[in-house]
Amino acid sequence: MQLNKKKSVDELVQSWKNDSDIKKNILHIETIEEKPAHFASFPEKLHPSIKRALIERGISQLYTHQRDAFDYASEGQSFTAVTPTASGKSLCYHLPVLQQILQDSSSRAIYLFPTKALAQDQKTDLNNLIESMDEEILSYTYDGDTSPAIRQKIRKAGHIVMTNPDMLHSGILPHHTKWVSLFENLKYIVIDELHTYKGVFGSHVAHVIRRLKRICEFYGSKPIFICTSATIKNPKELAEKLTNTTHELISNSGAPVGKKTFLFYNPPIVHPTFGVRRSSVLEVRDLATELYKAGIQTIVFAKSRVRVEMLVTYLKELTKKKIQDESIRGYRGGYLPTERRAIEKGLRDGSIQIVVSTNALELGVDIGQLQACIMTGYPGNIASAWQQAGRAGRRQDSALIIYVAGATALDQYVVNHPKYLLGSSPEEALINPENILILMEHLKCASFELPFSMTDVYGEFEVQELLAFLEEEGVLLKTSSNWHWMSDRFPAHEISLRSSAQENVVIIDWSIQGSTKVIGEMDTYSAMTLLHEEAIYLHQGIQYQVEKLDWEEKKAFVREVDVDYFTDANLAVELKVLSEDKSKPYPSAQLGYGDVSLLAIPTIFKKIRFNTHENIGSGKIHIPPLEMHTNSTWLSFENLENWSEDVLTDALTGAAYAIGSFVPLFIQCDRKDLSVVPQVKAIHNEKPTLFIYDSYPGGIGLSEKVYDILDSIIEESIQHVDICPCENGCPSCIGVENNLQNGKEKVTKLLSFLLNEMK
Amino acid sequence: MIEMSYENKILQLKKMLGSKKEKVVEKPTFVKPPKPSYLENWVKCGLNVIENDFGVVFKREVMYSNDYKHGLYELGSLYDAIDKWENHRISHPFSLSFDDDILFFDTETTGLKGVGTHIFLIGVLEAKTDGFLLTQYVLADPSNEAAFLFESKFWQTQKTIITYNGKSFDWPQVETRWTLHRNTLPKLTNHKQIDLLHSSKRIWKNNLEKMKLTTVEEEKLGFHRKGDIPGFLAPIIYADALKSGQADTLIKVLYHNEWDLLSLVTLYIHSTNLLIETRVEEAATTLTNVGKWYGDLKHKGESERFLSKVTEHFEGPETGLAYYYLAIEQKRNGQFVEAAIHFEYAIPHLDIKKQIKAYEQLAIVYEHQLKTFEKAIRCALDGLKLIENATCFNASQKIKLIEQWEKRIQRLENKIIS
Repeated sequence: MQLNKKKSVDELVQSWKNDSDIKKNILHIETIEEKPAHFASFPEKLHPSIKRALIERGISQLYTHQRDAFDYASEGQSFTAVTPTASGKSLCYHLPVLQQILQDSSSRAIYLFPTKALAQDQKTDLNNLIESMDEEILSYTYDGDTSPAIRQKIRKAGHIVMTNPDMLHSGILPHHTKWVSLFENLKYIVIDELHTYKGVFGSHVAHVIRRLKRICEFYGSKPIFICTSATIKNPKELAEKLTNTTHELISNSGAPVGKKTFLFYNPPIVHPTFGVRRSSVLEVRDLATELYKAGIQTIVFAKSRVRVEMLVTYLKELTKKKIQDESIRGYRGGYLPTERRAIEKGLRDGSIQIVVSTNALELGVDIGQLQACIMTGYPGNIASAWQQAGRAGRRQDSALIIYVAGATALDQYVVNHPKYLLGSSPEEALINPENILILMEHLKCASFELPFSMTDVYGEFEVQELLAFLEEEGVLLKTSSNWHWMSDRFPAHEISLRSSAQENVVIIDWSIQGSTKVIGEMDTYSAMTLLHEEAIYLHQGIQYQVEKLDWEEKKAFVREVDVDYFTDANLAVELKVLSEDKSKPYPSAQLGYGDVSLLAIPTIFKKIRFNTHENIGSGKIHIPPLEMHTNSTWLSFENLENWSEDVLTDALTGAAYAIGSFVPLFIQCDRKDLSVVPQVKAIHNEKPTLFIYDSYPGGIGLSEKVYDILDSIIEESIQHVDICPCENGCPSCIGVENNLQNGKEKVTKLLSFLLNEMK
Repeated sequence: MIEMSYENKILQLKKMLGSKKEKVVEKPTFVKPPKPSYLENWVKCGLNVIENDFGVVFKREVMYSNDYKHGLYELGSLYDAIDKWENHRISHPFSLSFDDDILFFDTETTGLKGVGTHIFLIGVLEAKTDGFLLTQYVLADPSNEAAFLFESKFWQTQKTIITYNGKSFDWPQVETRWTLHRNTLPKLTNHKQIDLLHSSKRIWKNNLEKMKLTTVEEEKLGFHRKGDIPGFLAPIIYADALKSGQADTLIKVLYHNEWDLLSLVTLYIHSTNLLIETRVEEAATTLTNVGKWYGDLKHKGESERFLSKVTEHFEGPETGLAYYYLAIEQKRNGQFVEAAIHFEYAIPHLDIKKQIKAYEQLAIVYEHQLKTFEKAIRCALDGLKLIENATCFNASQKIKLIEQWEKRIQRLENKIIS
């Protein structure tokens, strides 16, 4: 057995440069040198206890951004601070909040974190600070895990309540009368990780904040907002839209940055004719193995739960012969809280060597010092990529970031254009509180929480007509002056902030008779393709087969199995235009935007063998279709040169694939927030059409953006398909399932035709 | 067609959404709401209108004589029950004295939780010199809520409020509604509370499957409702009464509430009898439960009185738990021989977890107090066998237990050898 030899990051990179097998796959190495700190003095009025506690921690002056934060807060000005990872961003809000509580002990603050895990983590941090201040300040997390015994105390006496939007939405706001002392004295609302509040989730949270502000107004408080965000293009705009409050922006971080080495790694081509590269998952497995052997603590990011579980399965081979070795772990949403807590602890104390994660760990969970980070593919946007990269070398030491490109167009684009990642400005984060469905749901919640009067507005919205509509629906009752909630329903339970589907599917392991247990949960949309009967579901590297899916009751019953394949499922989609809000005619094409209704039908799934990734079987999925009303941009055109329907279908599919890959280059969204679907004969005009729609009921404004920039997207797609080294189409350009003769040529022809039309 | 109308609805909604125009917001001072248009309709159904500073509220009153019989008991027997507690001289959280200002209390609401749930009916029943007075207040409409709450008089002198599930439901709802009007109404008084759901659970555990008040009425209080409106319909009926202005059906909710309150009185009387008198016609489980409750309250004399009633008058499986609790009581009092005998009696009739507990207690008594190591080791071995075959523990619990017990056995073996 080969002895594992510990190496430093720099030594390892050097050895790779000398290894011809590895070297040829590294397309680019970029080193970002360290950046010195910029300091400012403590504010004069900073409370002596805070000063003492800071000095005790070796902080004798502030970074400039921390000082700016304190000054804005003192003036009563809401603000947003944009700070890189490990820049001491939490002091941007701790200092003003603690100062306020020390000046007036009746003051209260809410800290809002996007996840429970983050709140728990920040609590430890804050409590340490308070402890060294030696002052009577009570801070608590309040979430689903909080024991009923201390809830009463938190409501009455907690100075700082750390919670998440979901808990605020369904656990606090609908019961605000139990929180009188909090709402009467609320001075600060802190929103950490602002950049995560985008898309559907952000749009929901924007309403939760509007409801919160409404309750504050009822109790006579007018809190200041403090937001902190990773680098995005529009932090101020996002904060203002989210909180419906004017913000100042702090964008110059005074914190120092450590040396970072970026490797851009492209898996070798194994099938030159088809341009097929070795699987990035396998490549990451090998790189992670090298890092493991060198004793470098590493975080591996993968884009999906399935990939996380596959990598965990592969990597655990490394420790198979060691008994009870927990040094390689998976981490993703869907694990139970205790499981996650244990993993976070293992990362901090070093007993875990490699953690494989979905973007759950992108956020600022404090996992201490990791030396390296591997990205399995491009996470979809620059802000996320930098967040992931920030996971390595948090505490200013030399860090290694390896980007391993997958086969997708976007992945290949990024690995060939390192400047895109390293140099370009990050994307916009969009939210759309005007989404009428989201708005209506929260309007119900707001009515439940406090009756609207005949003159009330809701946030920036004029809602009297909508309230009248809710009266017709039978949930509101109009009296002389007010709209009162008059129903036995609890509206907050009817909305989930996190996903388009409103209910989660619970995953139940019934392997052992008499001791069935819940091992996780999943949103309904994902469940359609991941938890159908016969699907292989992976959890902590263990394979389960779904034996029964009770769609009505939202329960999936699984049994532990040991098979050498995983499953992959397809959705068929049909679109119907309901109204056209915008349109542009071209000679032989037409661009439109408006409301559409969508029917998604899960069709078949495939069984794919591990390692070789060959298709070894398939089956039908029996899940009822999902109906959705949303917004879409569409581009219809006259069939060119009388292509046969088969040719047209394939060309259109290839074009949709290419375009879909590039949308995230232009708009910050999760890949799944926006879908591109080809229809050879669209229902509304019987013409070949590409639909680009928001994958969320009611739409969230993404496809409307596409309407304005579709020509640039098409232009970028053509270039990329052109330069792709494959002969006849591959997963990196027009998709792998294309059986078209001269596919690339046809797709390029179609796209060029469309681009030409649009000029 | 249905699909289309849903889609149209959304398009319609989008058009309704306006943008806010700047407006000066004036601070609300209390404005007395107008009277609802249906006052007369509701009066025709037997309700009275009361007007106070905050608006209007409906009220219904019924006077009952002391000899009015509801199920098995006359209401006036409440005085006998209080008398019994006065003579009992044992402090118990459910005891009443003649100093208590007693108010039986129950509400009907439009939902189950949260600020959007209104109380629309407050019913109280109090003892008066010549009988019992039922008073029901009905919310005229949500804008007249302050008037409704004010009239309940919960802001006046301290009462002893007797409820069924009121501690976790009705009273917190009153507090919530009060908070919403805290700038208008006088401060809510802190009242003493007795929750009969809690006592029923203690008394009838393992005896009644459901603790719904109607179940208790039928099984224990000899009262059967006729033409009762099920509670879950109350929210719809109230909302309908507001919209239609008709109160005919709403009156049935008032009757429902009235029965609830009458049953609270007889339930209190009946529970008192069970807590004070050791009647052998009661089920063994009930007597055992009461004995256990006194034990938990540290009234060992009372506890033994109830438990030994079971062991003396019943036989076989019914006595298992009584012997078990009695033995625990006796061990606590240093009566080790008796405790050991009673644990042995109990074991064949207990569930597996309690059997294991009993073997453990026996092993301890035999080893440390009675010094009969052979007996101790027999109990330890029997206990271990049970643990090994048990299905009620998970793997890690089991391993831990087995370890503990094996240690005990080892120690006992060593003691026997030396």
